[in-house]
Amino acid sequence: MIKTSAPASTHPLAPYIEGLKAGKTLLPDTPENLIEVVGILKSYGVVLDAYSQNLCYIADQQFLVLFPFFKYFNGQVSPQKLLRHWWHDRINFEYAEYVMRSMLWHGGGGLETYLDSAEFQQRSQAAIAVKLKGNWLMQGLHRLFPEFLPEQVRQQAYYSALGQFWRVMSDIFLTLSDRYDRQEVHSIPQVVDYIGAGLVAAASQPITFGVTLESQRYEIIPESAGLTFLSDTAVPYVEAIFFRGTPFLGTVSYNAQAHQISPDQSRFDYGALYADPLPIGGSGIPPTLLMQDMRHFLPDYLHNFYRQSRRGEDDLRVKVCQSFQKSMFCVTTAAIVGLAPHPLDTEDLQQQQANQSYLETWMDRLQSSRLQEVQV
Amino acid sequence: MLSALIWIPLLGAALIGFWPRPLSPHRTRLVTLAVLGGALLWTGVVGSQFDPTNPGLQLTEYLPWIDSLGLSYQLGVDGLALPLLVLNSLLTWVAAYSSDKSLNRPRLYYPLLLLINAGVAGAFLAQNLLLFFLFYELELIPLYLLIAIWGGSRRGYAATKFLIYTALSGILILSAFLGLTWLGGSNSFDYQPLLSQALPLGQQFLLLGAILVGFGIKIPLVPFHTWLPDAHVEASTPISVLLAGVLLKLGTYGLLRFGLGLFPQAWAVLAPWLATWAAISVLYGALMAIAQTDMKKMVAYSSVGHMGYVLLAAAASTPLSLLAAVFQMISHGLISALLFLLVGVVYKKTGSRNITVLRGLLNPERGLPLIGSLMVLAVMASAGIPGMVGFISEFLVFRGSFPAFPVQTLLCMVGTGLTAVYFLLLVNRVFFGRLSDSETDLPSVDWFDRTPAVILAVLIVLLGLQPSWVVHWSEAATAALIPPSASIASHSASVISQEFPQ
Repeated sequence: MIKTSAPASTHPLAPYIEGLKAGKTLLPDTPENLIEVVGILKSYGVVLDAYSQNLCYIADQQFLVLFPFFKYFNGQVSPQKLLRHWWHDRINFEYAEYVMRSMLWHGGGGLETYLDSAEFQQRSQAAIAVKLKGNWLMQGLHRLFPEFLPEQVRQQAYYSALGQFWRVMSDIFLTLSDRYDRQEVHSIPQVVDYIGAGLVAAASQPITFGVTLESQRYEIIPESAGLTFLSDTAVPYVEAIFFRGTPFLGTVSYNAQAHQISPDQSRFDYGALYADPLPIGGSGIPPTLLMQDMRHFLPDYLHNFYRQSRRGEDDLRVKVCQSFQKSMFCVTTAAIVGLAPHPLDTEDLQQQQANQSYLETWMDRLQSSRLQEVQV
Repeated sequence: MLSALIWIPLLGAALIGFWPRPLSPHRTRLVTLAVLGGALLWTGVVGSQFDPTNPGLQLTEYLPWIDSLGLSYQLGVDGLALPLLVLNSLLTWVAAYSSDKSLNRPRLYYPLLLLINAGVAGAFLAQNLLLFFLFYELELIPLYLLIAIWGGSRRGYAATKFLIYTALSGILILSAFLGLTWLGGSNSFDYQPLLSQALPLGQQFLLLGAILVGFGIKIPLVPFHTWLPDAHVEASTPISVLLAGVLLKLGTYGLLRFGLGLFPQAWAVLAPWLATWAAISVLYGALMAIAQTDMKKMVAYSSVGHMGYVLLAAAASTPLSLLAAVFQMISHGLISALLFLLVGVVYKKTGSRNITVLRGLLNPERGLPLIGSLMVLAVMASAGIPGMVGFISEFLVFRGSFPAFPVQTLLCMVGTGLTAVYFLLLVNRVFFGRLSDSETDLPSVDWFDRTPAVILAVLIVLLGLQPSWVVHWSEAATAALIPPSASIASHSASVISQEFPQ
């Protein structure tokens, strides 16, 4: 007798593997989860829009400005904006920079490879030369420390790449919210499908970066470099931000000197899918900044949903963080399904086995995540 | 004028208890708060009429009552009693305010609170030994009922134990009072005439022994303390506030007024032993507190330790140490009341007082951040951190007692260090770290629960910064407590006549 399906997985998270194969999502499909996920993605979309604009502004307009005092003002500095900035009733662009630095640090994808290439070196040196024209002090320093400014340009490239990535994601989340408002979205699988479709649609969108210096355009990452949205920004982003992250004091208790943090970056598990929402709310740690930003833009239905809970608005940031984590499991589901080697409902035995192996690899990494916690 | 401090709460209790139609629980509570607010205001009026430079009794009232027994209705206030009267009025109001709005039998509960307030005020004001005894006994029954009816699961055991211990305390005190008049051949129990009565030293030892054990039970001092942790654990939060904040002070007040006041020679001879007893009590209380896992029991043992400081200061009997004894009573009253209030809030919100179970309650979003912050403040005050009332009182105690009893004082200072140990253990375990998973859905603390704690915290800081607001009422009176004939054995006259720091 010929077997027509791969043997059931013996992985500790096998139910999720079977669920994904059956078209289910990592996050249970409940009305409450739908409200939380769509609502939080709406506010996330608004915040990402602002982050994206600022990242692109810094990349394009603050190129090699070594003391960018007003980089968060998008070129519109006024006493009122300055006071508001100091009062902290504003979008915390520091969070976007933190994410950018995490991506830069963890690297991955074609972007990292390109930024280490001779082509990038040559293009960045050309732009640096123009930027330093007439500045004898900086030229001298550049000769003394030739790696410093190219590294700054690499960082500018990441500013731009993340800005472009979030531009797409913001549009996906905001249009998802619009569809929900029009009552066209009724379940978590629909949310996942919509995000997956958005990612696929933008998958081959080119990622480029260039600056205009003295009226001349300098392409640092030309289209010919072949960097694209999905493989060179989305996948490294998921790896760096969802999975690896970095350990913050206050979110994770650790003693680095006692080697409680792995020396191997690839074994980091401090990302969004692992973050404990409870300590969030301590002062100054980056995820708190994101939660603070999102709470300004919560849709009314989600705000009311939160108000009905026991603590009302007292623990808003924790609830925002919990909902955000749920929504990130939806994005992860979309990524898992989208990157699968074969359709998950394939009837080909070899393809099924390949899919099973692929899914088990993902589940290995999700074992210590908050996957179990978001099930309730 | 002084009678009003007794009769306002008594009439309030009668009004609530005997009103023809039962009042709603809410209205009963409001009437009680109004009555106690009136008593607190009237205490302020008494304070405004009080002359702090006069060391003697003021605003005295006298009515003959049962002459054949030597009992008269004689009231008076001096610098020793006035701060305690204010503490009594304030903490009874706080206790009534923090009582559960929906408790059973409010028509009995609130009158009992008012009776305690009246009894304690009467005891602080009484200038007749029998009258003092009557008021001293008056608060026993209401307190017994408050523990026995509204207490925890072992309330019957704790209330009975409290009653037996404090009844024995009453018997010993009454025996001493009777012995004093009988041996001195007096017909009256009036306090002032008895002050000039000189008994042989042997008889003084006998009577002072009864007084020491009698009030030692009430304070409580080791080894007569075992009723207190049980009573605290079983009593509801407001009753613990009253018990620690006010009722224990009857014991230390009695020691100063009747022990030191009536038997100065015997006191002077026994002083080194009393100081040693104080040091043992302080260290035992602190070490027992370290061993506790129940927050309330820990605070109760902390009380045992901190009341030992009052005995140390009283034993030293220098002007500064006696002032310190009064200030320590006020300081401990405020701090322990705050600690019990906060423990009560934690218990109300989490359902546990176990420091091995609770964790991370200082979490700003899901925990009890304000309550945790106030707890940190309270334990800092209790551990004698500068800037708060506990530092002033303990510094005065040590500064005043060290010249007389350096070893015992140093041992008590070790007790202060141990206070920091057990309270840091408490704060570290209960309030720091990650919130337990079982406590991530705690209800928030509303301002009803926060208000009394905030009031006490403000007072603790204010009096820590400006202690003269309390001590200037008592300086003259505590200096006058030292009879010229008294001299603490083995200590120089310069120590005895030590002046206040300028």
